[in-house]
Amino acid sequence: MRIVVAEDLYLLRDGMVRLLEAYGHQVVATATTGPETLDALRTWRPDVSVVDVRMPPTQSDEGLQAALAARRELPGLPVLILSQHVEQLYARELLADGAGGVGYFLKDSVFDADQFIDALERVAGGGTAMDPAVITKLLSSGSSSRRLEQLTEREHAVLGLMAEGLSNQAIGQRLFLSESAISKYTTSMFGKLGISDDESSNRRVLAVLTYLNKTLNKT
Amino acid sequence: MRQLVSWSASACAGFVRACAVVVVSMLVPAVWAAAAVLWIWWWDGDPWSGIVPFLWACIGTLALSRPVCRMVRSLVAKWTGTVIPGGYRQPGPVTQMATGYWWNGYSYERTSRDARMDQQWRTRWRDPATWRDLRFTAIAPITMGVICAIPPAGVVAAVLGFGHPGFPAVLAGALGAVVAIAGAPYAWRSIEPVAVRFLRASPAMALQDRVAELTAQRADATVAQAAEIRRIERDLHDGAQARLVALGLSLATAEKLMETDLDQARALLRDARAGAATSLTELRDLVRGISPPVLNERGLVDAVRALALDSPLEAAVSADVQLRLDPPIEAALYFGVAELLTNAVKHAHASRARISIARDGTGIVVDVEDDGRGGADVRPGGGLDGLRRRLAVFDGTVEVTSPAGGPTRVRMMLPCESL
Repeated sequence: MRIVVAEDLYLLRDGMVRLLEAYGHQVVATATTGPETLDALRTWRPDVSVVDVRMPPTQSDEGLQAALAARRELPGLPVLILSQHVEQLYARELLADGAGGVGYFLKDSVFDADQFIDALERVAGGGTAMDPAVITKLLSSGSSSRRLEQLTEREHAVLGLMAEGLSNQAIGQRLFLSESAISKYTTSMFGKLGISDDESSNRRVLAVLTYLNKTLNKT
Repeated sequence: MRQLVSWSASACAGFVRACAVVVVSMLVPAVWAAAAVLWIWWWDGDPWSGIVPFLWACIGTLALSRPVCRMVRSLVAKWTGTVIPGGYRQPGPVTQMATGYWWNGYSYERTSRDARMDQQWRTRWRDPATWRDLRFTAIAPITMGVICAIPPAGVVAAVLGFGHPGFPAVLAGALGAVVAIAGAPYAWRSIEPVAVRFLRASPAMALQDRVAELTAQRADATVAQAAEIRRIERDLHDGAQARLVALGLSLATAEKLMETDLDQARALLRDARAGAATSLTELRDLVRGISPPVLNERGLVDAVRALALDSPLEAAVSADVQLRLDPPIEAALYFGVAELLTNAVKHAHASRARISIARDGTGIVVDVEDDGRGGADVRPGGGLDGLRRRLAVFDGTVEVTSPAGGPTRVRMMLPCESL
């Protein structure tokens, strides 16, 4: 894959480039500021990009804004956002266009390189990948936690992993269950929540996240 | 008839009050009069013989000035409802030092009783209220003392006049009676304007109070800041620093084991990775407590939105504009809202909350309302008290309405010129 890495701290940028190259990917450009990131995304149109939220010159959410701007121009441009902290607010802004090809992770997620690369490839393929921390917050906040009380513990776990963007097969591997058992859980779960089951995993994730967001009913 | 009864009742009450005012305001002149009488009594051609009565009168005035003023204040409060604050300085604490001596803020004394006496004298001597009281004891007799003396004087004139035969005496007595009866309901009222004018705190005293308030606030802020820094240091020392040391140890051991026991080396590396992840989580929580990243990145309104999203409550946020305020003010309001949401969950058992951020003519107003069981109050040392003190640094205020049974509504107001 052709990848753009946007990160202002040299050590992290260097480490990220080395990690990606170790997995056989090609880093076509690196960016260290918000405007540079936007330029790189526009010029290179990479298969996927890894973007830090906070970057110079203002040290606010320049990276996130650059990624959102680039996706407004090139809908569905795959972007994986990395940050030292995750906010539901940012996750909602990233998912708002419904175009897919979005990932949002804590920087620690690179500790498990295999899973990180897996998520990156999923995003590159137009899928969605969310950090478990985001999903935990989504599942536990506001009225969604009350609406989800009707789910069994196992269904709850499946819903969480699904919202992270995993396929039935991947969920089965994580929970040590067969793929058919997972699809049985998803069917009963979707029945309880009234979400239409969709074969495409990306649209399914969006449906789940939309459901969770809707139950929050927040401005 | 009824009018007459009520008028004569007020005249009687007024007469008694006027007499009381005369007694109180004439106490100090009475002391001087006694001193003068003594001086004349002891007169032997040498004016220096008057020095002893003069000193007595001085001491008597000093001793009486504060009780007289207290009495006037309590009479005014009782009769008219006007409360005049005393504004006396309070003596500071007296503490025993390691040497066994007592420190009262001015000097060391052998016993705590000596220390207190010494402190009392010094405080009283330096207190501007003492000089104001002395001035009042001089002013009171020639203002309200004279006015309130009219009804009793009229009565005395009436008694003397009617007791002597002859037309001029009876006329004087009749005049005295008229003056006494007509003046009785009104004369005592002179106490209020005189007391308000001369007994209230002077601008210098008000200024001193403000300085004392600001000094206390500064001390508060300094103490809070120091405590915060100590907490951060402790958290870093026991958390991230210790974990990084452990991480280094694991890596060093793993490096050594690579040559002999690959499996154990791999296990150690896994542990090291888990340790790094844990220390990152700890650091993240720490950072969130010091300065929430979303507040730096997006400002108050979005940070409060993020807070509402993360809260277990169904919290709705309404804000009229995206406003950027000074960072310390944003932080104070953000932590205020966070505290109130936590209270709503923990104490009020609320399920919904409404947060509104708006500005009015003078500053920014943040309202937080929940549907919990109410009963919140500002206890010293409590969370709401802490909030009040944090906002007081910026001259901000907190209003809490929380009847038992709810709902709780808290309004934070901060004057703000940058708007």
